[in-house]
Amino acid sequence: MSERPFTQLDSAGIARTLSQIADRPTDLADVFFERREDVELPAAGQAPGLRVWREEGLAVRLLRDGRTWLAGRDRIDPEALHDAFRRVARAMPRAPYPKPGLDEEPWNDRPAAPEILTFPSEVGRALRSHHVDLAHQLTVWRHRRWVRVIGTQLASGTETESFYSFRADVPGGRFGGLSSTLNEGTAEDVARQLVHLHRAREAAPPEPSRGVAILGPSATAVLLHEAVAHALEVDTLALAGHPEAALGTRLGSALLDVFDDPSSSPEGVRRASDDEGFPVVRRCLLRSGVIEQPLCDTAWAGRSELLAAGAGRRGNRHLAPGPRSTHLELAAGEHSRQELLVDAEGGLYLPLADRGQLDPATGRFTLRFPYGHRVQNHVLGPPVGSCWMRGHLNDLLEKITGVGSRVQAAGAGWCAKGGVKLPVWATCPEIRLEGVEITP
Amino acid sequence: MSLGEHALEVLSTLADGGWPEAEVFHKQGRSRTLQYTPYGDVTSLRQEEGWAVRAGDQRRSFYYAATGRPTPRARWPDADGLGLRLPSARPAPAWTAPSILDAPLIGESEARGLFEGLAKELDRELPGARLLAGDLDDGSSESLLASSREVTARVRHRAASLRLEAAHATPGQRHVTLDVADRDARRFSPAVLARRLADLLAVGETNSTRPRDRGELLLAPSVAVGLLAALGELWIGPEAEQLSATLADRRGRIGSSAFTLVDNGRLAGGVLEAPFDGEGQPTREVVLVEEGALRQPLLAWWQTRSAIHRASGCCLRPSWRDLPRAGATHLYLQPDPKLRVASMIEDLTRGYYLIHLAGPPRVEADLSRFAAPVSGFAIAGGRPTGTVAEAWLVGSVSTLLCGIVAKARDLTFSTVRGGMVGSPTLLVKGLELRQQI
Repeated sequence: MSERPFTQLDSAGIARTLSQIADRPTDLADVFFERREDVELPAAGQAPGLRVWREEGLAVRLLRDGRTWLAGRDRIDPEALHDAFRRVARAMPRAPYPKPGLDEEPWNDRPAAPEILTFPSEVGRALRSHHVDLAHQLTVWRHRRWVRVIGTQLASGTETESFYSFRADVPGGRFGGLSSTLNEGTAEDVARQLVHLHRAREAAPPEPSRGVAILGPSATAVLLHEAVAHALEVDTLALAGHPEAALGTRLGSALLDVFDDPSSSPEGVRRASDDEGFPVVRRCLLRSGVIEQPLCDTAWAGRSELLAAGAGRRGNRHLAPGPRSTHLELAAGEHSRQELLVDAEGGLYLPLADRGQLDPATGRFTLRFPYGHRVQNHVLGPPVGSCWMRGHLNDLLEKITGVGSRVQAAGAGWCAKGGVKLPVWATCPEIRLEGVEITP
Repeated sequence: MSLGEHALEVLSTLADGGWPEAEVFHKQGRSRTLQYTPYGDVTSLRQEEGWAVRAGDQRRSFYYAATGRPTPRARWPDADGLGLRLPSARPAPAWTAPSILDAPLIGESEARGLFEGLAKELDRELPGARLLAGDLDDGSSESLLASSREVTARVRHRAASLRLEAAHATPGQRHVTLDVADRDARRFSPAVLARRLADLLAVGETNSTRPRDRGELLLAPSVAVGLLAALGELWIGPEAEQLSATLADRRGRIGSSAFTLVDNGRLAGGVLEAPFDGEGQPTREVVLVEEGALRQPLLAWWQTRSAIHRASGCCLRPSWRDLPRAGATHLYLQPDPKLRVASMIEDLTRGYYLIHLAGPPRVEADLSRFAAPVSGFAIAGGRPTGTVAEAWLVGSVSTLLCGIVAKARDLTFSTVRGGMVGSPTLLVKGLELRQQI
């Protein structure tokens, strides 16, 4: 297979056929082409070994008056495309639909992922360098995806994503995440987190309290994903009224400048267009804590001049696009880590959050931390066990009283809103919250 | 070339390549989905098709899966897994395909009508309540499995699922969700579902009862199913006998005489009813617990090679993407066909009717105690007297199983990890309801 599939598609022919289906001025129609490959190296001692899944297919979509019709097929050939056109069309065509050319090379190269085969031993080596003999079960995946969207008025280039995910099970805990690369540095990161989890496994959880907490960049990313990104998806906002009404509303502390920018994602997952073929933008979700531009797809952008498309994502070809974040960024603040710690005496430093949930109806928010450290004498003290942060969305974001000056890629993970699993990325500094409720 | 010939061609290629153990699994299906929201809906018609190969020998193995039809031209990955052994063909009892398999998928306007009817019924049950979202999926599929051990199994399925989300008229109130499954989407009744949503909404978030109490407890099917699923280790898998033994009394009983637990992959009318499981092994009915006494755990062929007669076809393979894994097919607590739920409520002098499980139950690692977040109604003299919200049902697992004193006839299944788990409404004594744990 060529490195970029879908370059030989007859995009003009496809657009002509789409225009027969989208025969009203406000209609929008497109074809989504997708190839994806997932390779899994299961934890040691399992059969069958290296597991490979390869998928390709297409979906035709018509968007009319707020309604969407979608026809997905697990093949890419003229017959499949023609049949999908017929299923989506709302009326018999005046002339038969043409069969556009889909001269794709067959996808028949030998599946191989040598880099994931060596990763478990690299993690083992890194663990030994920490003088920890920790029994663990490590599963590693490589994910690759190619998509292209052709619509009546646009034809995006082929977008490519390639990244890795891993899950490590250790006695008393689990650690997982995503990485755009897989090398010794990634192995060291995984090993370090496993060592922290292992060392904190018997630490007592903190007593219920209300006080200061500093979140590490990873935990900050999860907080912002749940409390800002999900809260500012237009379909979530629509549960409480028209999303436009949210523009200009204060959501959190004035220290918060939050962006979603798929074009600055880590290399390998950087995007120029979204899963609807629209160019992505550096979208300012919050400026000084005030809502500026929610995450929006074409369905909602068509209903409002104030909402901008470009954040449409699809779990796969059989699912309609929805507004979702891709790469969240929290702008750096002014505080060094030492300054954040000085004002957090007796509080908690929480480097990781492994679970978060926002109830969009009530604004109730929970975040779980697998372990943390007590801040003593302005440094990280003894470990504490797992705990929860609970609160109300606006209230919690208002409690952010300090933002770190050093941003880093952190907190990448899977988001599974509505059962649709998507990779999400983030670049964040540490933050300090005051007066937050922590419970075991 | 027929599908079977495609599969045989792949098997032949694998045999020529030196793989004595090989299996080809193909699945194709059609489904119509309607996602309903107050601001627009999405109708989709999916045609999905894919296949998978497991192949290996005594020392190594690989797995490859792809969309489309099986092809011998596929290039396999390196075989770096452990040795692979596949099951041999076993005779299956006769099976008659149910007629629903040939019925057309639900139409777009029928699906939309279901949601409109639901919204109307919900407003009638609880004025002002809103249907926020609905997701209906109606699909049919057929699969073929062929292996080098002469297994050839063809299975057809028909399944529909419906997820509903509703809220009170007042903004800022908690949403409730309801998930149901059936083989026939046309059997989803707007009136019945609206009543269930209204009950869930009526429970609300406020507590009008004391925070800590005992009494007779009626557990609605959704609550009982959640508990049965959470305690699955007691009856599923090779470790189950050892784990259950710690709960058994001197006569070897782990539950009351009202507790009979069955797994049946060919349950007539069941959503997953099929003659074979995901590895081509014949399905059958297995009594796991009979009147409180553990008879045998649920075992797949590879979990009991020395006593293969104890195994049943219980390997789940929901999609061509999935590797087969052992699990409940239709695991259910046997109902009492004569007892109505209404009679149980009327006979409740003082107790609680718990209708909703707000999250997964927490079970201690040694399976001794559990705690489940629940909500429902306080009942006195057969009538509701208040609500219970955000409470915890707590107790020992032994008390739960031995405390089942009656069961109704309303056997209801829910989808749990790709299988179906069912229970009727249960009357249980000895457990405690707490506001906090």
